[in-house]
Amino acid sequence: MTRPLPDQSLGVEWTILELLARGIVDDLERQMVRDLLLADTLNWGELLEQALRHKMLPMLAHQIISAGLRFDVPMSIYMHLESVLEWNRCQIEVFRRETVRVAQGLAERGIQFVVTKGMTFESTLYESLGTRHMNDIDFMVTPKDREAVLSVMQELGFRPFFEWAKDARREEISSRLNRDHLPKLAREIDQPGTRIINVDVANSLTWTKSPFDVPVEEALEEPVEQPVPGTPGGSVPCFRPIYQFLFTVLHLFREAWLQKFVDFGSDVSLMKFGDVIRLLDRNRNELTDGGLLRTTEAHSVTHAVAWVLRQLDETFHTHTLQLLALEKHGDERLLGSQMQSSGYVRTSGQSMRERLQSKDRGSARPVAPGHSALLG
Amino acid sequence: MDNITTRFEQCLRRHLRLVKPDSVDYAVELVQLGLDLMTAVAILLDMEKTFDIRFPGDMLVEGTFRTAGRLKGAVQLLRERQAS
Repeated sequence: MTRPLPDQSLGVEWTILELLARGIVDDLERQMVRDLLLADTLNWGELLEQALRHKMLPMLAHQIISAGLRFDVPMSIYMHLESVLEWNRCQIEVFRRETVRVAQGLAERGIQFVVTKGMTFESTLYESLGTRHMNDIDFMVTPKDREAVLSVMQELGFRPFFEWAKDARREEISSRLNRDHLPKLAREIDQPGTRIINVDVANSLTWTKSPFDVPVEEALEEPVEQPVPGTPGGSVPCFRPIYQFLFTVLHLFREAWLQKFVDFGSDVSLMKFGDVIRLLDRNRNELTDGGLLRTTEAHSVTHAVAWVLRQLDETFHTHTLQLLALEKHGDERLLGSQMQSSGYVRTSGQSMRERLQSKDRGSARPVAPGHSALLG
Repeated sequence: MDNITTRFEQCLRRHLRLVKPDSVDYAVELVQLGLDLMTAVAILLDMEKTFDIRFPGDMLVEGTFRTAGRLKGAVQLLRERQAS
């Protein structure tokens, strides 16, 4: 993929985060980040706040530490970043062990599943450096196994957990009505730094009553076995690249398109776009041989996928639409008619890049005319 | 019109703008009146608050609120259970 260096129109701090999100791949980029971190105009408060908002503090910490900038960064900030990175690494180790434990439990009951999102990306797209932030461990199963999975999880010490939400009863009702996920599950553990492990089990690649879907049964066929670092002999099944990519992009689409995610404070992040770029970098051959295009067309998700890639290209100056032969797709009006029952985040002429940087994303977001404000 | 009917219909109208102001069709599917997942959650929460009830897990399924009639039946059942 062509990787032009980002322009600095949104500031030094934002440029650093854009470079880190997509992954530093050569000395030119490494030097650019170093120069920006040493720039007189750098505002550390802004950089730390944006890194925190986009869940990139461990990534920033690793970059500063590995670049040997100990004596170039304010000491209190450097020490804090060291702690952030160490804590993230400890949490990832806990998550890895728990992922293998849950995976064994599901496999012993003959349940078909894959591990998704952060846990699979950490050891592949993020090179096991302990820099990928994770809130929970994610699994994907088929709808027919929902009850069996719940039973296994309870045997493993997990219970439905709603207290994390501001309105626990609303979350409980929502979880029980929502048929694309199991209720959020949690287990308390006796581990310094991590008191609770959350597990999120989905049984759909999209969402309840979505106008399109990629059948989960199809996506779970022929999973790829992926080693889990730090767990001798431990490995877990993951999506094949095409479905890994589709799931990641459709998940991003959901967060970027649907108003409810802005309202819930879980709008898209720079890190999620970075995941897509890294997936494409890592699996370019598998994703450009025509199989992905055929799959998106077969399941009518071409416009949604192309819309995400258009946002990605405009934000990072990449050429992913061209790479995947999707330039003619992703028309926002067509997508709007396809998504007519769902609340659409219209950003009043704001680009995705500006939206990502904005710290006030919940405001000034009228829902497009003719669209319900609520998710169907 | 008994007390529960008035309050029940007020509750529905607060969330479903397509419910007629003068009468509620108890047989029509609520989806046709604009019900979606998030509206369903809001209605159930409002019913719980209005009638001081709590929907048990086995009633948190689509069938409970497919129509206004079914939902009203569920609310009445929970009120009776609570009273006994």
